[in-house]
Amino acid sequence: MLRLNNGRVYDPAHGVDGELRDLYIEHGHIVATPRPDATIDSEIDLHGSVVMAGAIDLHTHIGGGKMNIARALLPEDHRRDPAPARHLGAGGEMHAGCGHAAPSTWTTGYRYAEMGYTACFEPAMLPANARHAHLEMGDTPMVDKGAYAMLGSDDFFLRLLSSGADQRLINDYVGWTLDSSQAMAIKVVNPGGISAFKFNARNLELEAAHPYYGVTPRQVIKALARAVHDLGVAHPLHVHASNLGIPGNADTTLATMAAAEGLPIHLTHIQFHSYGTEGERKFSSEAERIADAINRMTNVSADVGQILFGQTVTASGDNMAQHRNRGHASPDKWVVMDIECDAGCGVVPFKYKDKNFVNALQWAIGLELFLRVTDPWRIFLTTDHPNGAPFTSYPHLIRLLMDRSFRNSKLDEINAEAAAHSQLRGMQREYSLYEIAIMTRAAPARSLGLSDRGHLGAGAAADIVVYRDDADREAMFAKPEYVFKDGELIVRDGQVVKVVNGAVHAVKPEYDKGIEKPLKDYFDRYMTVKMEHIKLSDDELCSCGASKLIPHRCKGRSA
Amino acid sequence: MSDSFVSCPFCGLLCDDLQVDQRDGRARVASAGCARAARLFDVPAAGQALVAGKPVDTLAAIRAASALLKRSRRPLLSGLACDVTGHRAALALAERLGGVVDHMNGVAQFRNWQVFQDGGWMTTTLSEVRNRADLIVLAGVDVSRFPRFFERCLPPQSQQPSQFGDLQRRYIVLGDKPSPTAEQPHDAAFAISMPNRRLGDFFLALRARLAGRRLDHAAIEGVDPVQIEALLETLRAARYGVLVWNAAELDFPNADLTIQAMVDLVKDLNQSTRWSGLPLGGSDGDTSAAQVCTWQTGYPLRMAFEAGGPRYEPKLFATAALLAAGEVDALVWISAFDPARTPPVTDPAHCPSIVLGRADMVFAQPPEVFIPVAVPGVQHGGFLHRMDAVVALPLHAPAPAELLSVAQALAAIQQEIPHAAA
Repeated sequence: MLRLNNGRVYDPAHGVDGELRDLYIEHGHIVATPRPDATIDSEIDLHGSVVMAGAIDLHTHIGGGKMNIARALLPEDHRRDPAPARHLGAGGEMHAGCGHAAPSTWTTGYRYAEMGYTACFEPAMLPANARHAHLEMGDTPMVDKGAYAMLGSDDFFLRLLSSGADQRLINDYVGWTLDSSQAMAIKVVNPGGISAFKFNARNLELEAAHPYYGVTPRQVIKALARAVHDLGVAHPLHVHASNLGIPGNADTTLATMAAAEGLPIHLTHIQFHSYGTEGERKFSSEAERIADAINRMTNVSADVGQILFGQTVTASGDNMAQHRNRGHASPDKWVVMDIECDAGCGVVPFKYKDKNFVNALQWAIGLELFLRVTDPWRIFLTTDHPNGAPFTSYPHLIRLLMDRSFRNSKLDEINAEAAAHSQLRGMQREYSLYEIAIMTRAAPARSLGLSDRGHLGAGAAADIVVYRDDADREAMFAKPEYVFKDGELIVRDGQVVKVVNGAVHAVKPEYDKGIEKPLKDYFDRYMTVKMEHIKLSDDELCSCGASKLIPHRCKGRSA
Repeated sequence: MSDSFVSCPFCGLLCDDLQVDQRDGRARVASAGCARAARLFDVPAAGQALVAGKPVDTLAAIRAASALLKRSRRPLLSGLACDVTGHRAALALAERLGGVVDHMNGVAQFRNWQVFQDGGWMTTTLSEVRNRADLIVLAGVDVSRFPRFFERCLPPQSQQPSQFGDLQRRYIVLGDKPSPTAEQPHDAAFAISMPNRRLGDFFLALRARLAGRRLDHAAIEGVDPVQIEALLETLRAARYGVLVWNAAELDFPNADLTIQAMVDLVKDLNQSTRWSGLPLGGSDGDTSAAQVCTWQTGYPLRMAFEAGGPRYEPKLFATAALLAAGEVDALVWISAFDPARTPPVTDPAHCPSIVLGRADMVFAQPPEVFIPVAVPGVQHGGFLHRMDAVVALPLHAPAPAELLSVAQALAAIQQEIPHAAA
């Protein structure tokens, strides 16, 4: 048994806010305070350092076809950040790779762990690309992984919806998709819009009919939100709303929240969806209206998708929006794909500039959203890696949230007009360590239904991070003193000391397997792959590379 | 015996509707498949390891390979015709040895990668083509290299919306092989014969006309300007056009510029209607090799593991260039799919070769070490990517064999290296 003495513990799931406590770890789990005569094999005195559960990123593009497109597209970015192999003796071997905007899988895992993250969720796995995505995640070490399957622009679903299929049939198809792609949740990207782009539509409003199927994005959201709810999947429907990046899209975003009709809904990278059309440049912040709506609607959660300045690459399933944004590509190259009657993708390198009015205002809008949403259980810290910024900028973002004078000093550096348009300077709020622990640990674990992660109670997996308290929160969160994964010390002073593999999470919903009859017919008739070969079995999943499968049973709610 | 469908690993289409029987330990295609599949599924269940051309047991061959590689300062791991697990093992060994990696189809792959990395592109996948393509341009493509392309990707039946009318596919055939063959459509809207090396100029001329510029007649020598205009109208009128090329067949100097002209035309046409490119390829596991190397290192092959981290040199790290310049001192050649894909001949004094190949591989000049390996998708299971890189399919083992897989053989070599005599 390992004892961590005297840490200042932040464990919001149990209401623990900076109390000095000891933690006990045995067989990879946190255990209750043992009897005085229990054998303590080793102990570490934490001298009042800050202790939190391992951080969980519920929206980060770490693996899958579009990330490999982004990697292959940017050799010039990799060249600036090569990562040599390292031998750790008994700790194993760290593979060579590359970092920055679109890091290699190995480097992704190492650097997440070195910041105290122990789980990452890829939010845009195409079912047609699931085997590939799991192979990539299998080579992403250190952290536990999971992925959200993308639906809503696939022809099979749109056929069902346009033919007026019973919700139960839609639920079965959604259940089958989760099962066959080994996913943790369902995401919808520009609902119906990816498909509409294949029919030459360049935009699809929430109430607009798909050019062929005739259904609206609103109908898509409603049907999928219902299916996710009925199947009992913990994470709500994960929505990348229509009209990404378009000035004035805040109205669409508010209408998208309403489209769930009270069912749980998660709006992702909401910063990109909080824009107005006021001012000379017809681009303004609607953060206040969006935040007010989130504050009011308890069925809504969101992650921010903060942008930070510098070179990155945007990689999205939203081929329609990415094609629209191609003119902003920097360097000037971009990739757009239509994929397998399933979805699509677009990859556009981007350089966010602090002196550019639009970019500067995007930066301010993200921060305003963080500061205006009052409930940290329903707003999550993301940069939509790598779309707003690479995940390695999280410590900087945390400092912006926790340190008002630092934030205002950065505000002085951005485009002056954008700074003047923003209400950021007047905002007093500074996030506390407790709130950071909520939004990066307790809340994502709860949202994903990870009962033994994101907290430090007895029975939790011993994913534990220890930070040296430092007034410079960026320095503090960049280099944890200790990171434990399932009870093993994997990082010391911000450096990997032991390589582990990480498990993969997937939900196991109950559904009527009779859906395979129409599916098999559909695949045989129209697809270039057999339905049987799209399915990824549990055995195959494990041979993709993860240490093990962590299945999550779903308790269905009858339709 | 076959009660389920298997994937065929022998070209980039990865048809997954084959039924394969086993007879006396050898696989036999029972239904679907093509002549190439029928030939390549049939592989002996056992093979003979060789060192210096003499039969040895497999362990001795592995030890000999380890000793060679221990002495090497800069080995090249090329060929890479195997499955994802084999590619993972090859990269692990290259990392351990400070080696360089390239694929046997690297010349063709890098014609595409150069264009991709310079400007990006718009592409599509096989099921999209099947269900939406109403105009298909075959640009210098001999589709018989992908024998079931038309059957699998362009059959009459599609889910193309009926409100737009039935999907009437039209074809435009350009290049060296403009006459429709038996497998190809006979109703080509246009069939224009020209050397493949002139396709680039031709597509640039189309781009210029599309942009409303006047054409210098020299640019389209041999092609009737009226035909150009009619062709342009047809391209513009497509609802979902697909431009198909195969980088391996654009085999002339600076062919990447021809591909550049094609992908730029596709981008231009997308300003008003929908078009996508379809780069054919993916045979010999080349898509998987590039994909695995990209996710693990950031680079799509032609990279070296150096002390400072991965180094990418898409021109310098070509197999032929490295061998010609004497920049590598050992060659590991992996060729588990097609026995005809034997290694380039090297001078054994300066660059000995170790071959992991099919049991039925025959050599004009035997390599220093030959280790027979199982054929992925025939003799062991695994994963392999289709040409579009989106779909990775399970490989099956219709005729399991005792032979080591590529991954097993490479892992065994890597394990032996610390113990090998230098």
